[in-house]
Amino acid sequence: MALLNRMEWYNLARTTNWTPTYVTEDELFPPSLSGDFDLPLTAWEVYDEPYKQTYPEYVKVQREKDAGAYSVKAALERSRIFENADPGWKSVMKAHYGAIARGEYAAASAEARMMRFSKAPGMRNMSTLGCMDEIRHGQMQLYFPHEHVSKDRQMDWAFKAYDTNEWAMIAARHFFDDIMMTRDAISVSIMLTFSFETGFTNMQFLGLAADAAEAGDHTFANLISSIQTDESRHAQIGGPALKILIANGKKAEAQKRVDIALWGAWKLFSVLTGPIMDYYTPLEHRKQSFKEFMEEWIVAQFERALTDMGLDLPWYWDIFLQELNDTHHGMHLGSYFWRPTVWWNPAAGVTPEERAWLEEKYPGWNETWGECWDVFIDNVVDGNMEKTYPETLPYVCNMCQLPILGVPGKKWNVKDYPLDYNGRLYHFGSEVDRWCFQQDPERYAGHMSIVDRFLAGMIQPMNLEGALKYMNIAPGECGDDAHNYAWAETYRALRETRKAANA
Amino acid sequence: MALFPLTSNFEGDFVLQLVPVDTENTMDEVAAAAAVHSVGRRVRNRPDQILRVRRQGDTDFLPRNMKVSEAGFKPTETVEIIWQAPNA
Repeated sequence: MALLNRMEWYNLARTTNWTPTYVTEDELFPPSLSGDFDLPLTAWEVYDEPYKQTYPEYVKVQREKDAGAYSVKAALERSRIFENADPGWKSVMKAHYGAIARGEYAAASAEARMMRFSKAPGMRNMSTLGCMDEIRHGQMQLYFPHEHVSKDRQMDWAFKAYDTNEWAMIAARHFFDDIMMTRDAISVSIMLTFSFETGFTNMQFLGLAADAAEAGDHTFANLISSIQTDESRHAQIGGPALKILIANGKKAEAQKRVDIALWGAWKLFSVLTGPIMDYYTPLEHRKQSFKEFMEEWIVAQFERALTDMGLDLPWYWDIFLQELNDTHHGMHLGSYFWRPTVWWNPAAGVTPEERAWLEEKYPGWNETWGECWDVFIDNVVDGNMEKTYPETLPYVCNMCQLPILGVPGKKWNVKDYPLDYNGRLYHFGSEVDRWCFQQDPERYAGHMSIVDRFLAGMIQPMNLEGALKYMNIAPGECGDDAHNYAWAETYRALRETRKAANA
Repeated sequence: MALFPLTSNFEGDFVLQLVPVDTENTMDEVAAAAAVHSVGRRVRNRPDQILRVRRQGDTDFLPRNMKVSEAGFKPTETVEIIWQAPNA
């Protein structure tokens, strides 16, 4: 039997709205779940998805993608890539899987909300496929690391991380809860798919795939490229929704959602992807600096996506561009210095050669971040290891839940952005974090940061042991230097040479 | 006497840190408590200088012997710990 061409029936088949008679429209699509923009069903029926795919087409393509990624994994399972990989690269995998795998699974629920509650039939179609994408991503990113669990306990955090109160996971959950777990269908399409996925998953998945291939980890490179092809499809769910909102005079509401989600995504990537690209990935395998990636994928491409859509650049764009030079260096120094509290082993990434690269990519690195590292390196060389660990908590931001930081050394500019709200003093890492909070204070005000929890006596005993217990970090899972400080030998040798020259 | 949490913003360091002090501590003692978490860890010591305490955004330092209880801080308020030449 001859089949009709897809485009001869697709538009008719997706016309699935009807006029409810047994219940009201609000009962069928409760505004808090569907998106209360006061627009009737008819306004949403013009939603035209740019990427049209039918269910049989989807299944066929996904089957091929799965076959590709799983067969590469099977072929390379005995290649001992994991055993022979640079420890910095293993840390990349551990950080990635822990932060991402279960979040993907959670995203399936956000896609399902669009699938059921969006008033736009086309969006319901696309997010049906998007929901299945996210289930696939969750399953793959749990299955792939599983073969390494028996070799390295930290790999178990691929599954475990999301259920813990580890500080980086509190930050990740706070962000994803805000943009996808507790928003209506239309807001999810704007905040998760347009702002986060269009803008940022390209960074994590394309950038990291390039680094993985360079590092010889073809299993990981194939896995995340396979995922990215799904992302680039379902990331387009938000665009047509934005067009409808703008056409119906709702630009301000749409813009605010983009601005909040984009900022949160930036902060999360500054702690997750920034250190990976500029410090953990072995120097010889780095394709571009984190800032260069950001400039290519976010500044150039996302900027265009925003303006093409008829939106403005976020009001904080200049602050964002400035932060590209600095924030992730602080996030790296912070997660490295507080390394017992992460589930991977951070690579310091500060050998003389690596510092020369950092200075080239970020002029002024040595007189700022380098000054802090100089003190750290002296302690390692001198054997003052107790001084290389913290004895208190960094103060974290009540919006992004990440340390409040700035540039150290000769250009010291660290600043708190406080806010008194209903008798409680909140602290923020930037003017933008504080602005996000102020857009809907009651939404965020009740949340307790890791520092608030410590001060409330929820972490006992009130020391590192208590903190590790609270974060569910078991013995053998605590982070420490990825290379066991072997990199410091260069500095020890340099010091001996200097001593000999002065003798 | 009571435990009192402050947030330290230490000159030359990169991050704000929680510093528990006592309401009876003087500003010099607050600076010393903050220094424990920065100096010799990520900030080089300056043996020829002293440390002063000020509210964020202020240019004037709080008197060296002023007590925490007299300063009117809110719990977790951020204070800047600044290096100063002794005779400045």
